[in-house]
Amino acid sequence: MDILTKKSWSPYAAGVVIGLLQIPAFLLVDTALGASSSFVTAAAWVAGLFDPAAAQIDYFAKYMTSSKYYWQSALVIGIALGAFLSAKASGTERANYAPSWTKMTGIRSLAARMVMGFAGGFVLLIGARIAGGCTSGHGISGMAQLAVGSTVAVATMFAGGILMSLAYKKI
Amino acid sequence: MSLFFMIVLGLVMGLVFGVALEKSRVMEPGVLVGQFQFRNFIMLKMFLAATATGLVVLAVLNGVFDVPLHPKAAAWGPVIIGGLILGIGIALAGACPGTALAQIGAGYKDAWAIVAGGILGAMVYGYNINWFKSVLDFGDAGKITFADLNPLPFWALALLAAAGLIALMVVLERLSPSAIENGRCDVPMEGADDDRLGHQVHGQPAE
Repeated sequence: MDILTKKSWSPYAAGVVIGLLQIPAFLLVDTALGASSSFVTAAAWVAGLFDPAAAQIDYFAKYMTSSKYYWQSALVIGIALGAFLSAKASGTERANYAPSWTKMTGIRSLAARMVMGFAGGFVLLIGARIAGGCTSGHGISGMAQLAVGSTVAVATMFAGGILMSLAYKKI
Repeated sequence: MSLFFMIVLGLVMGLVFGVALEKSRVMEPGVLVGQFQFRNFIMLKMFLAATATGLVVLAVLNGVFDVPLHPKAAAWGPVIIGGLILGIGIALAGACPGTALAQIGAGYKDAWAIVAGGILGAMVYGYNINWFKSVLDFGDAGKITFADLNPLPFWALALLAAAGLIALMVVLERLSPSAIENGRCDVPMEGADDDRLGHQVHGQPAE
């Protein structure tokens, strides 16, 4: 399996592979590729552990019952497994956190980076849920459907990312 | 479709997705932030290729086989405000919701914190959805696509857009060749041209 043992692929090849995943998504699941809804499914289950009333909230209930969201939750778990396999097969090893963080922010401990990552994840999902999709749902899938709202969402995502990245040292 | 089938299908599709994210290095924080700083264009290249492929796929599925599309609503308030917050989150996390999972698989420990923070974010949104909607739900133009604003059918506009994106990729590759970008990554890549860059690559001092 040469394609798995290779250290890396061209970004174009990877993009084509991801774009082709729209075929099973539309034909078998009747939906477009996406990732951020699965965080609501996970949040609904976690909330249910502490708060039995969580399942009564319509928004959580929707993400706990539809098979589409089970598919997407399996998809993101598959993403982790796929990245694990890919790194293993090519013998690519990674540090506890990307060395780029030290270059960009001066961070030198995993604990500090985890605090930043936790805050980042929080902001990420608040934004994705307000927008109704992330870089997969609005980005790759929305633009492939020529959706007007998704095109605006991609532009504002880039704007937000560029603004925040101004605070970092150049990579 | 049975739930079991959906879960197996999700896992298999995710596996492919995850391999592509790791191999392309799009899940690397330095690649995402590097894109926002215009230091490399790996993320944009992958994104354009995925979108162009999706456009061709959907032109065929929708144009020939009448498979329905699922565009999201063009709700200006949520899309603009949410998109900005999401973008800030991508730069802070060094990941988007999908690539955070790829980082976990690839071995970055801080990605577990990103996912935990993300689950909390989704929970806070879910509990306060009425407040978020009351503040931000304005300007909903419905689930419109550019094909609705234009006399061309979806398939024709999709193929034209795909051609435009391919042309954009050709220009991008001229301006920022992949062979050079490959040396600017935290982890080694296939065919990386380290010499031409003449700077440190993954901790090894340049000769």
